[in-house]
Amino acid sequence: MNTLDASAKLWTSEWCRALGFLDGVPTWFYFFLALVFTYCFVVIPSGSVLSYLDRKLSADLQARVGPNQAGPAGILQPIADFLKLLQKQSTEKSNWREDVWLSIHTMALYSTLAVMPLGTFALMLDTEMSAFLPFWSALVLALGTMLLGFSQGTVPGWFGGMRIAAQTMAGSFPALMGLLCTGVRTGSFQWSQLATIQGFSPLSWTVFSNPFQTIACLVFVTSGLVLSATPPLDGGLSMSDIHGGVASQLHGRKYSLYRFGRFYVFFLWSVITVVLFLGAWILPLEVSRFLSDKGANRILSILELILLLFKTFAVMLTVIWIARVNPRSRVDQITSLAWKVLSPFSLIALVGASLWMGWRNLG
Amino acid sequence: MAQYLRAIGAGAVSIAGTCLTAVPYLFRWGELHKEVTEGYPDPVSSKTSDDLPPRSRGLLVNDIDHCTGCGDCRKICPVQCIHLEVEPQADDSKVWVSRFDIDNSKCMFCGLCVEVCLPGSLNHTRQFEGAAYELSQLTSSFGKGQVTAEQKAKWAAKRESNKKKEGL
Amino acid sequence: MSETPTTEHSTSDHPEGNRKESRHNTEDYRPKDYQAGADYLAEYNAEFPLMSPKTDLTRWKIGPFHASLPASMILNLVLDGEVISRCSVETGFLHKGLEKALELSPWSSLVPYADHLDPENAVFGELVVCTAVEEIAALEVPLRARVIRLILSELTRISAHLSYTVRLARSVGSDTIVHYVLRDRERILDLFELLTGSRFSLNFLRFGGVKADVTEGFIERVLEICELIKIRLKEYNDIFTYNFSFTRRTYGVAVLPVDMIQKCGITGPNARASGIILDLRKSSPALGYDRIDFQVPIGRGESGALGDIHDRYLVRLREIGQSIEILKQLTEIIPPGDFLEKKLENDIKIPTGEAYSQVESPRGLLGCHIVSDGSGSPNRVQFRTPTISNLLCIPELIPGTRIEDLPVVLASLDLGIAEADR
Repeated sequence: MNTLDASAKLWTSEWCRALGFLDGVPTWFYFFLALVFTYCFVVIPSGSVLSYLDRKLSADLQARVGPNQAGPAGILQPIADFLKLLQKQSTEKSNWREDVWLSIHTMALYSTLAVMPLGTFALMLDTEMSAFLPFWSALVLALGTMLLGFSQGTVPGWFGGMRIAAQTMAGSFPALMGLLCTGVRTGSFQWSQLATIQGFSPLSWTVFSNPFQTIACLVFVTSGLVLSATPPLDGGLSMSDIHGGVASQLHGRKYSLYRFGRFYVFFLWSVITVVLFLGAWILPLEVSRFLSDKGANRILSILELILLLFKTFAVMLTVIWIARVNPRSRVDQITSLAWKVLSPFSLIALVGASLWMGWRNLG
Repeated sequence: MAQYLRAIGAGAVSIAGTCLTAVPYLFRWGELHKEVTEGYPDPVSSKTSDDLPPRSRGLLVNDIDHCTGCGDCRKICPVQCIHLEVEPQADDSKVWVSRFDIDNSKCMFCGLCVEVCLPGSLNHTRQFEGAAYELSQLTSSFGKGQVTAEQKAKWAAKRESNKKKEGL
Repeated sequence: MSETPTTEHSTSDHPEGNRKESRHNTEDYRPKDYQAGADYLAEYNAEFPLMSPKTDLTRWKIGPFHASLPASMILNLVLDGEVISRCSVETGFLHKGLEKALELSPWSSLVPYADHLDPENAVFGELVVCTAVEEIAALEVPLRARVIRLILSELTRISAHLSYTVRLARSVGSDTIVHYVLRDRERILDLFELLTGSRFSLNFLRFGGVKADVTEGFIERVLEICELIKIRLKEYNDIFTYNFSFTRRTYGVAVLPVDMIQKCGITGPNARASGIILDLRKSSPALGYDRIDFQVPIGRGESGALGDIHDRYLVRLREIGQSIEILKQLTEIIPPGDFLEKKLENDIKIPTGEAYSQVESPRGLLGCHIVSDGSGSPNRVQFRTPTISNLLCIPELIPGTRIEDLPVVLASLDLGIAEADR
């Protein structure tokens, strides 16, 4: 509980003091502000930037020009998209079951904002097991999606829900095993510990510290794609045969909410990958020491956030690149990939990483 | 077991290879990897309708002064999109084409009417942008307009007098 | 208590009539046979039942608009989990009444209408119709015109197989190759525009030859395109044909056995992929391919199953390669001469007779039976399109495949519903 209060007070209190807020504000208010700020200033802008980069990258790969009308080289395209989405109305009668499940879905999803690690001072939940919390949210998300599909009363909805459930079950085990590998190196699952054991240079990242960790990283990323049904492993949501499955009956703003939820899970997963394996937000030692001596925590957190987002976008754009160029796989191929390939490799990675660490510690 | 590992290896190599094949397009290396789309219609497209081949069959246009009103185009049109009304003038060598409407919503740009036009007044332009906001704007009219009743009477009288002159 | 209300719509000259009064009289809006207390919501409840969480997962009707279908058609599926156990097809949504319209139109309309039989392979519709009429009227086609017709046929074949690749790639989810292939297909369509004036509905063949001569620069452009497509075929192979995900999805799926082919009368690349050696270009010399040296690709069953989706795709890729060879030879042997023996007058009259002609279109065997009774319109025109046979095999081919494979199987059969419905 102590770390909870301390970290919350530390981060948002800096900003509140700078903006002239009162000091005697209760903790829960800081929490609330932190969630809102994270959503508005980190998630939504990254969503916009990434949607633009995604479209431009896909266009470049496909020998076409991407968005180029809204603003110079189409930079303002995300704003145009957002304004368009606000105008969308649903043409169907509202189904109360859909509304219930969609709100559960949204609540489960965005509760992970509290767990997202965004910098040394921007950790809201920095407990011993905080790295496992996003999994819980991913599983609730999958449950919500499955029930949404079942409630629609149509064949595509039912199959969509079932496929999502199958994919999620298949993807959770290798993902957890991959996570355990990083814990083997660090000794704890606290975000701050997982991050500070790595450094700025790639050689000190967890992914390159030993070859089993590389396998673990690849397994972790792939199983994350399976878990969150992100292209190219989005068989559960396939457009071509069941019209998006769960989303086949969603229209208008509900649909955009659903799609943004999908993006958010992908984003969350990439952030966690970067924090666990790819060097987190750690700036070069001189820079961070210089800034913390000066007491410029705000600038430090901004720089760390930029570095983190840069690496996250690199990971996401690589996945998007693979998705655009390759065909989609079938759902049963995805689940057999997860069970027959990813799970054994994740176990090999775990055992190997532990043995490696043990041997190093002995000798 | 070996087959299992080979499948994994083959899969990873194949997917990575596919990704790498697309890399030249990312950096636009060489003639073969340039982008092929452009904004339309603004800014100004790199091609205009004058860049189309000379035989392109676009919207039709009729030079009404040379049209003899024979109606071959109307007879041969497979979808009957040409409407033609003709007034005989004073002498039979001249013809007043009062109505020549082409319904562009029906025209399928096959070019048969252009082939059979004997005086060569009906031709294709290379215009293909024919979208309109109203259905009435989709008909192109080339006729000279209806003739007043008294003009018709005058012509009829002239024709009668010509016939009488010839009869004599 | 409420009988038929006696509203007096007064016959005043006011344009609104009696409306001001009747707005407040709701009895005017009831139907004449209204009975108080009847359950008028029964129909509404029957139409919009409270959606129950229990879904009938055994029956699914796809269509007429669906992402997995090539065009407007209905598929009634009986499902067993994710596997389809029975299937039936309903088409007819794209019926245009082409054959009847041709009976009512003059002979000069025959070629433009035949264009629209299968808009993607327009020249084959024209070719089959012109060949039939030339047989009835005993018209001689000069050699130059025949070679020009063959050049157009082979270019259309390349364009049709490229479009097949696009459809197959879209169904599998591979979006990048779609744009590459479409970019190359645009060059062929530009060629058509250079020669005939239109990209799709060419209206270029006439009874006894072709409409106009080859423009200058056309032959050079054809050779350029041949070189370009050769290079691009290698690129497509790198990026798509042997891609691991694609092969996993298409190896061994929807194998078309030989007895089904013989029962349904399937021809063209679908049949050749299962090992049947049947190509009208080699077997009927009347088409004009006898002086050209080329090979007919047959499915080799590299995946272990002969006649699966991958075989059908590979056969078409190899046919593109062979068409390039044919085009190169045609551009060499094109002789000088007339392009049209005799320009027929505007109201053509074809003598009495009937003829059946067939050509090898990219989808299979396309046939046309024309009966003429000497008047200004044909008496009967009947098309035998290859997609009709392909549709016949669907109820036996699809059971056993998964729902997720359905779009891929339908795309691999190269169904042109527009030509099946005519």
